[in-house]
Amino acid sequence: MRGARRAAAPTEVPREAVSRPRAGGGRSRGGTIILRPRPRLSVLIDRRSVLVALLLLALLLVGMAASACLGQTYLSPTEVWRTLRTGSGPYDLVVNELRVPRIVLGALVGAAFGLSGALVQTVTRNPLASPDVIGVGHGAAAATVLALATGVVSSPGAMPLVSVGGGLVAAALVHVLAWRRGMQTGRFVLVGVGIGVALSAVVQLYLTDSELEAAEQVKLWLTGSLNGRGWQQAGPLGVVLLVCLPALAWASRAARPLGFDADTAAALGVRVDRVRLGLTLLGVVLAATATGAAGPIGFVALTSPQLARRLTRTPQLPLLCSALTGAVVLVAADLTARTLLPPLEIPVGALTSLVGGPYLLWLLGRRATAR
Amino acid sequence: MIRRLAWPAAVLAVACAGVLSLAVGTRAVPLSAVMDALLHGGGSPDALVVRSLRVPRTEIGLTAGAALGVAGAALQAVTRNPLADPGILGLSQGAAAGVVVAIGLGLAHGFSGYVWYAFAGAVLAACLVYGIAARGRGGASPVKLALAGTALSAMTAGGTTVVLTSSSATLDQFRFWQVGALSGRDAGTVVRILPFLVVGAVLVLGCARGLDALALGDETARALGHRVSWVRGAAALGAALLTAAAVAAAGPIAFVGLAVPHLARRLVSGGHRAVLPLSALLGAALLVGADVVGRVVRAPAEVPAGVMTALVGVPVLVVLVRRRGAVS
Repeated sequence: MRGARRAAAPTEVPREAVSRPRAGGGRSRGGTIILRPRPRLSVLIDRRSVLVALLLLALLLVGMAASACLGQTYLSPTEVWRTLRTGSGPYDLVVNELRVPRIVLGALVGAAFGLSGALVQTVTRNPLASPDVIGVGHGAAAATVLALATGVVSSPGAMPLVSVGGGLVAAALVHVLAWRRGMQTGRFVLVGVGIGVALSAVVQLYLTDSELEAAEQVKLWLTGSLNGRGWQQAGPLGVVLLVCLPALAWASRAARPLGFDADTAAALGVRVDRVRLGLTLLGVVLAATATGAAGPIGFVALTSPQLARRLTRTPQLPLLCSALTGAVVLVAADLTARTLLPPLEIPVGALTSLVGGPYLLWLLGRRATAR
Repeated sequence: MIRRLAWPAAVLAVACAGVLSLAVGTRAVPLSAVMDALLHGGGSPDALVVRSLRVPRTEIGLTAGAALGVAGAALQAVTRNPLADPGILGLSQGAAAGVVVAIGLGLAHGFSGYVWYAFAGAVLAACLVYGIAARGRGGASPVKLALAGTALSAMTAGGTTVVLTSSSATLDQFRFWQVGALSGRDAGTVVRILPFLVVGAVLVLGCARGLDALALGDETARALGHRVSWVRGAAALGAALLTAAAVAAAGPIAFVGLAVPHLARRLVSGGHRAVLPLSALLGAALLVGADVVGRVVRAPAEVPAGVMTALVGVPVLVVLVRRRGAVS
């Protein structure tokens, strides 16, 4: 039993292992490669997942490159490359100050949302769950709005901290209120929706109370936008993602038995409540930090894991591919939002909602035919 | 004992809320002056306040609250989902989109002007959601209805946001509608939406027995001789009309439709023929009561009724969920 649990989820593979797949005494069986670098440690690699991950990575790089070239002023790839390398020149401002930080931030935010969605959907076993369902987005929004309204925190640098704190507090509140002799998914979701409604009522109140200009700013933040953001937001988010990596390696193993129902997982020797709590915590931290950096951008967390799973065709939600999918989706969405209706810039969150709605309908159509 | 007292208590609550709504506010009007203004009119400031501001406001609160309560009860039965409320079928977002279009194109100014656009948006959204959900095998099953509603809501919200972020003038008007409030509506509002309220109420109440049967599952309902898709369609249409009318008059008010039916089901037995009317009474009392509280807590400023219902309703929901346990 211990050996079976040691077998990792297919996508969480150290990069070196991918590049030398047969070095550690691996052998091929169907589409799966088994690595045994040490006797007690074996790693399952799904060949398709590796291919999909590489493909997504390539797509991400292409998207980021395209996003660096396109915009109000078109720059050729050579011009962008030269400006990036030398750090000076006529396009220094556009490339190094505006576009590149924003693109990197977009990729990081997308990856964080994608990962967070995969974790939350694994815990709730519900393809329609997203961090918002457990209060993160609403909590972050309410905290930001309260900080603005009361003037307790006014420096722009501290605002991400405020929203991260709000997201964490709201998620903790949902957890505590829904906990009663263990966690039940239905109750969890219901309480989350309720807390979300209450918190958004607070935001609504502020929207009517404030001056128009402040209301506009809040509305923009509430929709989620990368406009005017860059290294200042990308730095902390990158650190959080790095810090979360070891925890994610644990999560990729721990999440596997949760694919069964709670009783089966418990019979397999898993401490279900503890694993769920850990995975949720990880998901909440990621979503809250990403929300603090760019606002509650809808649908990326919801759709990315599902898209990634359809690409890799694995039964579990693949964590690495979900993150990559999220990054690709958000970079593409931001590029579209910047260039679709110039000079107007659509908030990227509005765009993801516009595209995410049809995706949900498509999911619905598939369910209908599957029955 | 509780069950026998439920009806008189609900009626009493509505009456109290109504009277308080006429008497309480920034300008406190004594009850005798309220009666006087209602019966004889007159030109005193008190009488003007009561007749031109508070009477329409109370009327809208009573009708919108009742409509939302009934619509919530019907939708929870139709989708067999205790979480269902008028917002979940995309109605509120549809109405919001209608209002945004009206403001954006300069078609309407002021709350009374929005009514028809909100109504059209909500009805259109209801038709789309039902049409999408009814496609494919199995017809408009509960899950498909909820999913289609959520999806359409999200799309509409995205579109609305695009307009709002690109036009600050639109946002300036829209934010006051969106919050859901009873103030600032003129006296004719209720009269305009009344026909839709009546038709919706008749449709939903006519389905009461069918809704009881639906609770037992589609197969059983069919075996009992009910035409499941007809019951579901008629009740959903009725609920859509009720919600659309309420949202058009008062803005998207959360939580009345969600919480009130739960309360009503606890207080009475006897299936939907009892639950639906009691939901109407409790909904009216809750919305008008919330409005009165909203006028007092931050006087002289007001907290909109839509905010108050959410703040009051959420603890109720959490307690219900914890008490009941399994809600799948």
